[in-house]
Parts: sequence; C-alpha cells; structure tokens
Amino acid sequence: MSSLTLLFVIAALGLVAWVLARTRARRFRRGARQRFSSLPQHHGWYVALCTVVPALTFLLIWYFVSPALVTDAVLATPRAAALPPAGFDRAGILSEAREIAAGRAYGAFTPLADALAPAYAAAQARFDAIGTVIALLLMFVGGAWSFMRVRPGFSARTRNERLVMVLLLAASLVAIATTVGIVLSLLVESARFFRIVPVGDFLLGTRWNPGVIDPRDPGATLGALPLFWGTFFIGAVIAMAVAVPLGLMSAIYLTQYATPRARRWMKPLLEVLAGVPTVVYGYFAALTVAPAVRQAGAAIGVTSASSESALAAGLVMGIMIIPFVSSMADDSLAAVPASMRDGSLAMGATSAETIKRVLVPAALPGVIGGVLLAVSRAVGETMIVVMAASGVATLTLNPFASTTTVTKQIVDLLTGEAAFASAKTLAAFALGLTLFVVTLLLNVVALMVVRRYREAYE
Amino acid sequence: MSNNPPKMTASHVDVYYGANHAIRDVSIDVCQEDVTAFIGPSGCGKSTFLRSLNRMNDTIPGARVSGDIRLDGDDIYAREMDVVQLRARVGMVFQKPNPFPKSIYENVAYGPKIHGLAQSKAELDRIVERSLSRAGLWNEVKDRLSDSGTALSGGQQQRLCIARAIAVDPEVILMDEPCSALDPVATARIEELIHDLRGRYAIVIVTHNMQQAARVSQRTAFFHLGQLIEYGDTSDIFTNPRQERTKDYITGRYG
Amino acid sequence: MSKSLVPHVPVSAAEVAPHRPTDWRSDAMERRVRRRYAAERRFRLMGLGAVVVSAGFLAFLLIVMIAQGHLGFVETRVTLPLDLRQARLGLTAERLRGPGADLALAGAGLERAVDAAANRAFATEGGAALLSDGAWLRVRDAVKRDPHLLGRPFTLDLPVASAIDVAAKGNGTPAAERTVAALGAHLSRGIARDFLTGADSTDATRAGIWGALKGSLLTMFVTLALAFPVGVLSAIYLEEYAPRNRATDFLEVSINNLAAVPSIVFGLLGLAVFLGTLHLPRSAPLVGGLTLALMTMPVIVIASRNAIRAVPPSIRDAALAVGASPIQVVSHHVLPLAAPGILTGTIIGMARALGETAPLLMIGMRAFIAAPPDRLTDPATALPVQIFLWSDQVSRGFVEKTSAAILVLLVFLLAMNGVAIFLRNRFETRW
Repeated sequence: MSSLTLLFVIAALGLVAWVLARTRARRFRRGARQRFSSLPQHHGWYVALCTVVPALTFLLIWYFVSPALVTDAVLATPRAAALPPAGFDRAGILSEAREIAAGRAYGAFTPLADALAPAYAAAQARFDAIGTVIALLLMFVGGAWSFMRVRPGFSARTRNERLVMVLLLAASLVAIATTVGIVLSLLVESARFFRIVPVGDFLLGTRWNPGVIDPRDPGATLGALPLFWGTFFIGAVIAMAVAVPLGLMSAIYLTQYATPRARRWMKPLLEVLAGVPTVVYGYFAALTVAPAVRQAGAAIGVTSASSESALAAGLVMGIMIIPFVSSMADDSLAAVPASMRDGSLAMGATSAETIKRVLVPAALPGVIGGVLLAVSRAVGETMIVVMAASGVATLTLNPFASTTTVTKQIVDLLTGEAAFASAKTLAAFALGLTLFVVTLLLNVVALMVVRRYREAYE
Repeated sequence: MSNNPPKMTASHVDVYYGANHAIRDVSIDVCQEDVTAFIGPSGCGKSTFLRSLNRMNDTIPGARVSGDIRLDGDDIYAREMDVVQLRARVGMVFQKPNPFPKSIYENVAYGPKIHGLAQSKAELDRIVERSLSRAGLWNEVKDRLSDSGTALSGGQQQRLCIARAIAVDPEVILMDEPCSALDPVATARIEELIHDLRGRYAIVIVTHNMQQAARVSQRTAFFHLGQLIEYGDTSDIFTNPRQERTKDYITGRYG
Repeated sequence: MSKSLVPHVPVSAAEVAPHRPTDWRSDAMERRVRRRYAAERRFRLMGLGAVVVSAGFLAFLLIVMIAQGHLGFVETRVTLPLDLRQARLGLTAERLRGPGADLALAGAGLERAVDAAANRAFATEGGAALLSDGAWLRVRDAVKRDPHLLGRPFTLDLPVASAIDVAAKGNGTPAAERTVAALGAHLSRGIARDFLTGADSTDATRAGIWGALKGSLLTMFVTLALAFPVGVLSAIYLEEYAPRNRATDFLEVSINNLAAVPSIVFGLLGLAVFLGTLHLPRSAPLVGGLTLALMTMPVIVIASRNAIRAVPPSIRDAALAVGASPIQVVSHHVLPLAAPGILTGTIIGMARALGETAPLLMIGMRAFIAAPPDRLTDPATALPVQIFLWSDQVSRGFVEKTSAAILVLLVFLLAMNGVAIFLRNRFETRW
C-alpha cells in the first residue's frame, strides 16, 4: 500500500470510529434526563483519536527506522557479499540500488547496484507490508479499546483536552529546541575551531586573511580583532551617528509638534523605512551611495577613499535603523508623566526648553536602552555590509577607508568552496558565536535599562 | 430562621491568595429557594468566598481553598468533581456586565450548546426565549436577537448575563455585586428580577449596599476581615444584630 | 539649575535690598524672549528636518529604483524579416500539429536559420550578434502558433542582445550607441515577457524572476505552514495555561531572545542542523522555509500573545461561569477575538521573512538555478537572493533587472503590509 493510500485509509477509519462512537453515545443519552460531562461528539473525537494517533505515531517512527531494516535485509542477501567494505563507495552503491528499486533512476552506473535492486525492492515491499499490518492492527486495538469506554459516566472531553494540552506544550518546546539548537551548533563547531586555532589568537590577533591559511599556524591569519573593530565602527559609530540624531529628532517632532493628522501620515512613512528589505538597502548602498561617498572623499582631499568605504555602509545602515530608534524614543517620551511637562510649561518655558531640559533628560535611560537595541540590530545586520563593505580587514579610523565586518566575513567564509570542516568554515561558526553572545548581551542590558526606567515612572 | 433545606454547605473554609489569608474558617449554609446576601466592607472577602462556591478561584494563580464545600452533599473540591459541570450547576453573574461580543441569541445559546442541552434548533430557540423571558429581557430584545450583546445598555447587558446564566438551568446562581455598575433605575429592574427568580434557584448575592441586601434577601451573612461575623435571617440581622461589629456596620459607624 | 534660582540669604539687615518686581517689559527681557522664541523655532525646524530627511531618503530610494527598474520590464526588439523556406528545416505544418512538435522544432536547426536571417538583414550593423540568445525561441513559438509561417516570408520583432538593449535605453557603450542609431526605425519596444516568466540566466535579456518568485513562494509556504501553527499554539500555551515556574520563565526568555537573534545566526543553525546533521537537500525551499520558520515563529508568538492578552479577562470569566472548559474558553472566545491581531502579526512576520536574504545564503539558496523549482526539495533560489546575485553581475543589462526585481519584491511587501494595516484598522476593538 502506498503511503498516500495508507494515510487515506487511516483517515477513513478515523472517521468511521468518530461516527460509531458518536452514535453509541447518542443512544445512551436519549431518554436520560441526567446531565453528562461529555457530548456525543466528544466521545466521537476520543475514539477517533485513539484509533488514529497510535497508528500515526507508529508510522512516523517506522518511517525513520525501516530504511535501516531494509538495508540490513539487503546486506544479508548473498549478492551483497560482493560489496566493498563500509565506506563512501558502499553507501553510493546502496543508494543507487535504492533509487533503481524505487523507480526513480533508469540505469545504473555500477552493475552491482543493478543486481542489488531486486533484493532492495523485495525487502522494501516486505517491510512496507509489515508496517501497514502493524499500523492497521494498532488502529483496531485502539479503536476497540476506546469504543468499549464510551459509557455515560466516562469523561471523553477531559481526555481530549489533555491531548490538546500536550500539543500546546509541544509547540512551546519548539522555541526552546531552537535556542538549544543555536547554542549547541555554534558551540560544537566553535569548539572544533578552537582546537585548531587558540582562542587568544582568534580574539586578539590583528591579521585576518582566511585566503592564505598556513596549516602549521592557522591562527596567524585568523585574528578577528579587525573584524570586531570594523563591526563596531560601522554599526555602533557611523550608523548611530546617523540614526540617533535623526531618529530622536523625528520622535520629538512627531510626538511633541506634529498635528495628529500629520502624525498619522508621517509615522507609517517612517515605518516603511523599516520594512524595506536589507538586500534593497545593500544594493542601494553599493550602487548609489558608495560612489557618491568616494567622490565626496576625493573632493575633500582623501586620496585613499575606497569605493567600499565604511562610511557608505554605515550611512545606509543608519538610515535603516532610524525608525527603530524613533519608535523606541517615542515610547520613552510617552512614558514621561504629563505632569512633568505641564510643570515646566506652567513656569513659562517654551516647548523646546521643556523638551531639552525636562523631557529628554527624563526619558534618557529609555532612549539609551533603545540605542543599545539598535546597536545590537546594526551589529547583526548582514546584507548591507555584504554588498557595500569591503572584504579586506583593516584596523582604521578613516571612514573613507575600506573595513569589513563579522557578518560579511561569515558570508564570505561559508559561500566559498571550502570543505565543511576546514578551519575556514569553522571560523565562520566561531564568528557566529561571538556575534550571538554580543547581541544577546546588548539585548539583555538594554532590556534591563528600559525596564528599570519604566518602573521609575509607574 | 428560614426553613428551607440547605443547598450548599460550607464548613471551615479558608482561602489563601499566595501568602494572604483572605478567608478564615467560614462555615455557612446556602438554602434552597432563598436569596442569601453577603454584606461587609470592601476587601472583607465576601467576593472571594463567593468565587470559591463555583471554583472560579481556580482561575486565579496562587489561590488555594481548604475546608469543605458541598453541593447537595457532594464535595465540590473532590477529585472526581468535574469543574465544568459544577459551574453549569452553580452559575455566576459578575460585577461588571460581561456579555460575549456575539449576538444576543448566541450569548444565551452558548451555554446550552456546549452542554448539549438542546437536541434541535427549535428546542434551543425555546431555551433562549425562556431564559430571556425569565430575565425580563425578552420583550425588549425579541426583535433584535441578532444584534450584538455589547450594543445593549448596561442594565440590559446585566440582565442578558443573568439570562445567560439561567439558560444552562443552574441550581444556584451567584451574583457578585451585580448592580454596582448600574444606575438606580437599572438596579431596581435587577432587584425585581431577583425577586421573581427567587424560589426557582438558590441565589447568593454579594452587595455592599445594605438597603439592597435588606430589600432582596431572606438571609444575610456579614463578613469582616475574612471572617464570617454573623449569619441569620435578614430581618434579624438588620433589626436585632447579636454582634457589636454587625451593629456598628449596619448603622454606618464604619464601612 | 541656574544660580539665580537659589534664594540669596541676606547676611545682615543692612544688606537687604528693597525687593523690586521683575520688569518683564525691559529691553533686555524682550530681547531674551525673542531669542528664546527663535531657539524654539529652530528646534522645531530641526525636528521637521529629521522627518523630512528620513522620508526624503525613502523617496530617493524609491525614485532611483523606479527610474532604473521600470526599464527592466521593457525589452528592445528589432524587426527581422524571415523566410524559413530557404533554411530547409525539414518541417511541415502537419508535423507541428502532432504531439512531437517540440521535439521536431528543437532538432530542426531553427537557431541557425534565425542567425542566418539576421546576418543577411543587418550585415553591416552586426548580424546575429544583434539578437538576444533567446531570440530564436520567439521564432519557434511563433511557428508553433501558426505553422503556415513555414511556407511564406514574414517579419517578427525579436529581442536584441543585452548590449544593444542597454544602449537603446540610453546607457550603453559608444559602439553600441552607434549600432542603435544605425538600426533606427527597425527598433521597437515591448513588454519583457521573459523577465516575468523566466528563471535566472547568464544573459540579461533572458533572465527572469519567475523562478526566484516561485522559490520564494514555496519557501514562504513552508514557513507559514510551520511557524503559524507552532507560534499560535505556543502563544496560547504561554498566555492561558502555562504554570508560573522556572521552566515557563526559561521558555519566555528564550522566545524573547530568539526574536532578537541576528538572522544570519539562524542561517548558521540551518547549515549546521538541517544540512550538516539531518542531510536535507541543499538549496531547497524546504530547508529555506524551515530556517525562516524558526526565525519567524518568535515574531508570531509575541504578536499573538499581545493579541490574546488584549482580550479582557471578563470574557474568560463569563465563559467559565456557564461551564465552558478552559480549552473551550480559548477556542470559542479568546481565539476568535484575538484572530485579527494574530493575523496582523503573522503577515508582518511573513513579510519580514520574504525580504530576508542572509540565512538563505547560508543554506545554499544562492546557486545559479535556470529552471523554476517544482517541488519543495528542488534546488531553488528566492527573490531577495536573486536580487543579491544579479547585483553582483558585471553585465550592465543586469542593473535594470536588479532594480526591476526589487520593485517586484517591494510590491509584494507593500501589499502584505497594506493587508496587515487594513486588518488592524478594520478589526481594531477597544474594550
């Protein structure tokens, strides 16, 4: 039976179970004036679930287990004795035989695969049949057992709800699994990297050139300090120099000066900036901003102005962050009690004086928290720097010179043709771990600052 | 004392909210066909106690109830007691009217539907009409049953909530200050309604309006600081209180 | 605080000066007030300036993209006289009506015939080099539609080579510009069908976005199918049923942190787990969708929790009091009322996933894929990745294609955000 037919049969039997159980529950309800904890359809669902769930669970497990059983069965046949010892060749021939047996491939490169194909097909058919029979058996057992329990006093609803609860809990665990998955995969690969390259060389080395890795001393050209500097320079200095004043002033204008109508138009307009995909910003930075920056640099006499300058990437990144800073500042300003503002205005201060001397200082912790969050976002931003920043790692203070960042290097390291476990690809995971830890710390600190600030005014 | 047999009996009930001991050793009988009023100053625990009678306290994190509460002799905190069925038998009306944002019809029909009380649409229609009539709302809404329940006035909303509670055919109805959010005219309508419902259901009403307690109830319990100070026939409590604190409260010395 | 606000404590009675009221009308005071008002106006203008600069940047970006991108939807064509009788293709009208038409056309040497015709017609201007590599396919389609063309001379507007196309749009090399001038009236313009229906190509005139768009749609399908149910179910669990304990706190913290993890880290996760450990196929929408689902799920959880929290507790009390079970309370009352908020959050999360590039680069969706994917496990690319790949192309023809692809992406995102805003406004309820 093909898997699709089997699923169809399971669904059909589940439906039958539902109808039967419902009918039975209805019969005993009729006439009785007593109240029951479960409606007929609750009984129906209970029996249907008892029929279907064990069978489906079994099939899911079977789906992962049976290929190994099939392979074992094939290896036990006399023809398999001709196979090469376990290794890459053997796996290749087996997978070829499997493809032929499944009818997905027409001819074989290796004659042995052709010879093994019938054995494969036979074993496959046998284990498919076994799986189907067990699944059907489980359905009948589960269905009959639960059907016997359909009695007036039986609370089928409670059982069903317990199952739903398990489902809800399982869904929540996906988030934890993801977190654990991220941490584990980064840690495992990084640990392999640090077995090749000492941590000190990686964190404090000033030469980054993964193109020429000396196998005897891979740490010599894998010093990530220039990357950390470049990331900080572009994300935390240049981008913030653009985003903080513009974002803060926008928030002040929108919350304190703009008429409600203007605000209704301008706020979504700013939000559109946040919705533009980063690849678009990156393209724009590379195509339009970077040449303009280089010309501007040349015009003011910077001879080394690069067409992949830190300034171009940082400027565009700053623009991207504006709505983020603006909305954080907006929230912080809104959290300042109106009485503070009124108190200042009542003394005859102008709006600007009130904002500069009362509102902004009062909202400052919230704004700082928002800026930290913005930095964390800028540091993790990838596409703008991939497209507009340079691949050359330099320790420089000159915004017109080329610099590179952690995210840019991760992409460059992993999109080359290097083998998966080389120092080069492992370095990407070490960079990823650093990035993860730094953004995590920034977020934790920022949220602490913001929370403490909120509490101060509550 | 009233001669009606007890419907619910509570003995030695304590309620805790985390570390806060909200109800201390309360024992009380709620009698069939009577209206029982719980009075007392704000924060005295009368609403808390009311919510433990249909286990609505279960929904509050950290709430714990000890002691023994029985409905027709069955322990409502027993493991085998299905809380869903308990709440169908012990209905509740809240302080603020809280109709579902659905049509008037759906508001009333919801309970019968989930409990499977109607075998057909016609039967469901009958239940809805009967419930709305008993709640004194039928004539006002019969032409607009498909309007949203939230579009009614506050007093009408509260009567809709009473109709909703009646629709599942409860044995006891708990009312938690049902008139505190209503104007005097709407309050008078609800009080009339309570009067009409008396005899069909055991009704427990929490109020801090002593005149209201005197008007609608046959029996009154006075709570203070989580304790039951005095419980007896309403006429006795208001004319001849045995406890000094009860007397102080009903004469307006504090509260 | 300025010093003048501190009350001056007199040292002795002799020093007490008679109190004079402030003269608000003195020249000095009026000058001061005027200065303060000027500062007020400057500050206000600075605020307006910040908004204008931000909005101006957006406008500038859009104008640049539209100015370049609109040309990507247009192709330059040259009118070519053709007479296929001379080419001895060995084709007959009858054969083209049968089921073997495609095979017959593919083997008939039509491409050579078209090149020969171009060499004859435009010998001085460059001959066959004028035509796009895909030009003969248009001839093939025309012949298939009307087999009688085999038997008589006809003319057809065929797409020109990329260099000529760029020159005709006013951006080419001097040599190409001269060719365009020479061709003059033979050139015309039309909608670039290949761009809307084709997949990636090394030739700018044949490169299309349909392949990438389809890859994006398949990826989004996987993302939605996973992130939406898992996200909503976890939000329900956390808001309605989760006990208050350490485990729940850890759950909440991990969801909130996941929302702030840089997207490229999710790419690393996908690379290490889905490709490295589970050996799922590289470059497949399935893996892309899985990776983006993990990234989108926290967004949906957070939005859904906010929407569920906004449903007033009184509704839950009301349902519980008539004997609804906790599951019924949620499925009958809370979820329907929270649905608009949940949907809005989901759409916004999906829009973000649609524009996401970096994680897809990590799992290999950056390969050159010349055919649109048909299944979830086929190698594919996605729209933003296609933009990234084209932006790297040296050929000038790809500049307008990149911008045009950006326009397509922006239209999708705009539509999604529009729907989200509509939902928010239409179903916004205040309690």
